[in-house]
Amino acid sequence: MTNTEIRSVRPEPAGPRKTRGPRQSREPSESTTSTTPASRSRGARLLAVLFLAPTVVGIVVFTVVPIVGSIALSLFQWDVIEDPRWAGAANYREILTDSTVLVSFRNTLVFMVLAVALQLLIALALAIAVNGRMPMWLRSVFRSAFFFPLVLSAASLSVVMKYLFNQDFGPVNWLLGTVGIPSVPWLTSENGAMAAVVLAYVWQQFGFSFLLFVGGLNTIPKEVHEAASLDGASGPRKHLAITLPLLSPTLLVASVVGIINALQVFEQPYVLTAGGPGDSTRTVVMVIYETAFEQLRFGEASAVGVLLFALIMAVTALQFRLSRRYVHYQ
Amino acid sequence: MTDSLLSRRGLMRYGAYGAGAAAVAGVAAGWDRLTAADIPGRDDGSLVIATLGSAFNPEAQRALRDGFREVHPDIRIRINPVQAYDWSDFFSKILTQIAAGTAPDLVYVATEGVQLFARRLGVPLDAWAKRDAAELRTYFADVHPSLVESMMYEGSLYQLPVEFNAADMYLNTRVLERAGAELPDDDWTRDDFTALLRAMKRSNGAAFTPYFWTNRLWGGVVPWLFAGGTNLLAESKAPGGDWLWNSFYPEAERRGRGGGYRWTTPLADTDRVAEVYDYLASLVQDDLCTRPEGGDGRNLVGVFSTGRVGVTPAGGFWAGGLHEAGMKPTDYDVRYFPRGRARRHQFGAAGYAMLRTSRMRDEAWEFIKYTAREDVMTQLFAANQTTPARRSMVDAARYRKTGPAHWQVFYDTLDKIPSTGPIPAPPQVNEVEQLLIKHTGTALASPGAVRPALRRLQGDLERAMEREV
Repeated sequence: MTNTEIRSVRPEPAGPRKTRGPRQSREPSESTTSTTPASRSRGARLLAVLFLAPTVVGIVVFTVVPIVGSIALSLFQWDVIEDPRWAGAANYREILTDSTVLVSFRNTLVFMVLAVALQLLIALALAIAVNGRMPMWLRSVFRSAFFFPLVLSAASLSVVMKYLFNQDFGPVNWLLGTVGIPSVPWLTSENGAMAAVVLAYVWQQFGFSFLLFVGGLNTIPKEVHEAASLDGASGPRKHLAITLPLLSPTLLVASVVGIINALQVFEQPYVLTAGGPGDSTRTVVMVIYETAFEQLRFGEASAVGVLLFALIMAVTALQFRLSRRYVHYQ
Repeated sequence: MTDSLLSRRGLMRYGAYGAGAAAVAGVAAGWDRLTAADIPGRDDGSLVIATLGSAFNPEAQRALRDGFREVHPDIRIRINPVQAYDWSDFFSKILTQIAAGTAPDLVYVATEGVQLFARRLGVPLDAWAKRDAAELRTYFADVHPSLVESMMYEGSLYQLPVEFNAADMYLNTRVLERAGAELPDDDWTRDDFTALLRAMKRSNGAAFTPYFWTNRLWGGVVPWLFAGGTNLLAESKAPGGDWLWNSFYPEAERRGRGGGYRWTTPLADTDRVAEVYDYLASLVQDDLCTRPEGGDGRNLVGVFSTGRVGVTPAGGFWAGGLHEAGMKPTDYDVRYFPRGRARRHQFGAAGYAMLRTSRMRDEAWEFIKYTAREDVMTQLFAANQTTPARRSMVDAARYRKTGPAHWQVFYDTLDKIPSTGPIPAPPQVNEVEQLLIKHTGTALASPGAVRPALRRLQGDLERAMEREV
């Protein structure tokens, strides 16, 4: 426990609890300044409001207003050119019976499971490896290298990936061919396309989880691992019994952020496969984009957006609910 | 505790800091700086012209701008090159500009978007064309009527075509030599085509792909449908347009012309369409071509020029691209699309459409006329990045440096094959194209998938065509 925590849990003196009057304070009763405790409290609140206001205004303007706007727009038919027309629940009826929309939700969930699991596994394995015994300069090289794809544009990275995964002319199949593996239809078969999209996404995104895990691993006291070693625990055993439980808060953050990002995937499937073959890699955000900007059905696109918003909220709430069981705080 | 740390004096001090910061911010805000209003031409009464970014290079754009200023010094213009991957992407960006209240006056629109723009956003050019008929006579005399008809909608003219590209076949002559094959005849058939692909496959390595194609409206499955004597959507012609045909074209050329195409009932589940898909599926199955989604136009020049591809459909636009990639004029050649049940070819054309939101319509018309001039088109298309709509410009001098040897094919596709027609592009074009791409991918993904995929394509197209655009 830190000193602050010790102070905060100091027990009240024994005996009947006194009721404080309105002007009473827990701080020294004789103020050394001319201000009263009440005015000081008002000042502190004012200062807090001043500091928080810009962020709150930003959230309201750039998050709450668009959300409310999207919900409102989902009840209208609007094609940009004409004025919006009231549609009520018709947009929702339309999208809930549209097989493309339903398939896109299924694809997005499948993608989320695969991408987040792979991303967390790779990031965790690499973070543990980098955190092992190695010179500081080499550690820095690895950290930079793993983080580097995250700062690149997802669209441009996907263009490169599209070339790499090309069935006829791509280097990936050429490499496989050199060891006798036949050409894989990465982007032109249903399973291959999803695999390519997941790999392209994970390649770009795992750096974020990696950095979180490196930070989390550094907070685990070395003594705990040393004590386990003295007790004869093996390397894998130490990671399973010590590293993972102590890293669970970081895992929670990484998985929450990872899932929210994965549910909004757009660039990789859009550039790599354009949602195909068929609808096999069409994601929800792709459907929103196509419905709004290519078919000019902004009301229906907003309705899909509202459903995605609800899905993200539900999944995130579920994660926090489950985290009560599995996340251990020191 | 926070409240114990802040005295009134402290609060005043922080307040003073805040006021100081606000004053600094106010001074900064009042300082001369660049804003959106400083973008040259914005809200200054300029005629704003949106072009597909890659359609004209910077030199050509300068020529367009400076040349127009010389002729019309009283009209200020601003070229707004919009970078886009394809026409569909381009339309999306233009519509976003319109939604944002920054609509251009003129938009460069290809066949894919002619009817969408005409129906929702375009201004018919009929009145101006009639007024300036004398001035336009030489233009129309030089431009094939099929190109003009493809720019009409429900009896009215919406654009003057300045360029087009028909889907002909490019062949790599070095690959042909390796295969011991000759350049095919003018009248080659689908069977000749298949035999040639097999010969190419035999004489080249495993990393070689005889036929490269893409999954889209132009150059994808549609030219095969045309050659197969069918179409994606039933085709007819709108009435009207006599004012144009009677004014500008002789009797022989105006026969059968109307007020523009109508594409209505989907034909995806017909036997002829299935026959075409079965043929393409057999090519995929036999490893004679790329899968359509795998074909990406962006690396096509590279794989063709290095001999990893033997044949691909392309228009006159490819002559410039292959020359840039280092191919000699003798390294490749061009032929008509192989004949199936029919000899029909597909083309797409482009020109400037005037938007209803424009408040400078007369000025916009002057610009449209200006871009249709031969001297202007000569400057714009100097690099052979497309086929000029003017027949007189498609000559030996133009292709001497770039090739191909049979450059006549580009315009002959219109002149010698009268049935050649535009891409099926109704006002619902964006959804139609999406559905075509999606279901073509599914149809060719596995053996036996053609008919179920075409049935789904038919159903989806019917719904799309019923949708009011």
